[in-house]
Amino acid sequence: MIEVNNLKKEYFEEETPTQALRGVTFSVEKGEFVSIMGPSGSGKSTLLHILSFLDRPSGGSYKFQGKSIDDMTDHELARVRNKDMGFVFQSFNLLSRLTVYSNVEIPLLYSDIPSSKRKGLIENAIKAVGLEDKIHTEAGRLSGGQKQRVAIARALVTDPNVIFADEPTGNLDSQSGLQVMEILESLNKKGRTVILVTHETETAGFANRIIKIKDGAVESDKAIVARHHHTGNLK
Amino acid sequence: MLFRDAFKTSTRSLTQSKMRSALTMLGIVIGISSVIILMSIGQSAQDLILNQVQSVGSNLVIVIPGAPSNGKFSPPASEQGIIITTLKQRDIDSLEREPSIDAAAAVVNGQAEVVYGNNNKTITYQGVSASMFPVRKLTIGVGSAFTKADVDSANHVVVIGPELAKTLFGSALNPINKTIRLKNLSFRVVGILEKGGTGMFGVDQGNVVIVPITVAQKQLLGISHFSAVIVQANSQYDLNFVESRMKFVLRQNHGITDPNKDDFNIMTQADILSILGNITSILTIFLAAIASISLVVGGIGIMNIMLVSVTERTREIGLRKAVGATDGDILQQFLIESVLLTLLGGTAGIAFGAIIVGIAYLVISTFFSSLGWGFAFPLSAVLLGLGVSGVAGIVFGIYPARKAGKKNPVDALRYE
Repeated sequence: MIEVNNLKKEYFEEETPTQALRGVTFSVEKGEFVSIMGPSGSGKSTLLHILSFLDRPSGGSYKFQGKSIDDMTDHELARVRNKDMGFVFQSFNLLSRLTVYSNVEIPLLYSDIPSSKRKGLIENAIKAVGLEDKIHTEAGRLSGGQKQRVAIARALVTDPNVIFADEPTGNLDSQSGLQVMEILESLNKKGRTVILVTHETETAGFANRIIKIKDGAVESDKAIVARHHHTGNLK
Repeated sequence: MLFRDAFKTSTRSLTQSKMRSALTMLGIVIGISSVIILMSIGQSAQDLILNQVQSVGSNLVIVIPGAPSNGKFSPPASEQGIIITTLKQRDIDSLEREPSIDAAAAVVNGQAEVVYGNNNKTITYQGVSASMFPVRKLTIGVGSAFTKADVDSANHVVVIGPELAKTLFGSALNPINKTIRLKNLSFRVVGILEKGGTGMFGVDQGNVVIVPITVAQKQLLGISHFSAVIVQANSQYDLNFVESRMKFVLRQNHGITDPNKDDFNIMTQADILSILGNITSILTIFLAAIASISLVVGGIGIMNIMLVSVTERTREIGLRKAVGATDGDILQQFLIESVLLTLLGGTAGIAFGAIIVGIAYLVISTFFSSLGWGFAFPLSAVLLGLGVSGVAGIVFGIYPARKAGKKNPVDALRYE
């Protein structure tokens, strides 16, 4: 499903090139739950941005569902992001003046799903994160954990194959963080690929594979045989 | 993205900050309403002026002393302080002998105080030939006009305007056969004009005093020339022909051999209409152009606020792009917002302009009822207002919208 080969990313800051990724190679199969770990500045966020089509690599190859990113226009990337990818961010990125319903609706506005089917999809996604009773509440009035659950509902609503989560528990207390991770875990169990970026070992432990990044290169890539048993003491 | 969804998204973000949207629109509201008000009032003024000229009658030709300015409009010589005294009674006699001319009536103007008992008023008096009444279609409400015999024997008789009659005599007293004093001469009132309004040469007909021209020339002004001669052409003749005959006759009388040295100016109603129409149109366009400066200022205000809005909503743009919005979707959303702002502003401006024009009409027609001011709200102004505000939305919105559309999603999502 995801194949990266010798992936490189170079930034230019005041004409000084910075190597964010120095040749990353790995692949992810459908249905995996992968944690990408690393200290800040390691290049893990850059990697996630490229994997999620928000940015383009400056070298190497990236194939998503068999198609190379180099062969796709920006417009096509936007279509794939809408159809096949879901996003969960550390800072939620909800539109705080809109209701939960309207926030979850946003990806559908850019899809070709007919408007007659949208209401059902939105309600199902909100139900999946257990926020039915908040459906008409303004997003700004919710707690952090609830906000992140709305963000997950928004990521789910187009029924994507992959969910990208960038430090999803970073702004949450441990209780809410656990709840969010359990939702992601259950989505993975239903067959969705989940790719998670985090620097927290406990959060990463929900995955069945951990890729560690350091200085723009893969340091280790290990499958977790014994899955973490979360007992509520996340962090 | 469907237009309907984009429209919904845009209206939503506009209604989220109602105060800002309203204040942003204000510039366009003021701009469009100024243009609308000036165009409408300009139209009313033009209608008024042209109606007055038209009311004079279509087969009238006016002769005023002074050289013509070769097609270019300039004030008559008398207005420039140059008194040309060549237009005289023998010109009237010669003109009336022409078969293409039905009548020629002379006029002189002056100002004096008119007195009856304790009442007095300073007015413009006109000395006219008896034929002026039928030629100008001046209808008498009470009494009758004076006759050619009155003019020939310089009788002290007057016809006065209806408002002056009220001022001097009140509404109870019948002014007919009463004696009024003008420049210490006594005149017998024989008739009252039916209606007021502004007449030829800008004289207020409601307060006018009309005396036989012979009396005005010899006893009131001490002159022997005329201020103007109004000729009623025979309707069977072409006006251009009548004009050329008049020129021939007047040149002969005044001993002019070189047509460039004419000491008179002949104007038909069509000439006057086209000159006045041009002047008032130019004035209206000029005023509307000045008003449209405020429209540009309003548009720049919109651009400014849209730019602020784009920066403020950087993260929103990043999020929308992350979940699948294309550059075009984002551009569309912001462009719809700015066009909505200007169109709403334009509509409000048209409505506000209509109210002001309506109030102006009520005020003018109440306090200056004799003017005959009409209500005008030209459709062209409404269409122009809507068109201009829509275009302003695109012109001033495209730059911020493009800026929004081109934002890099990664940077936009990181934006603090």
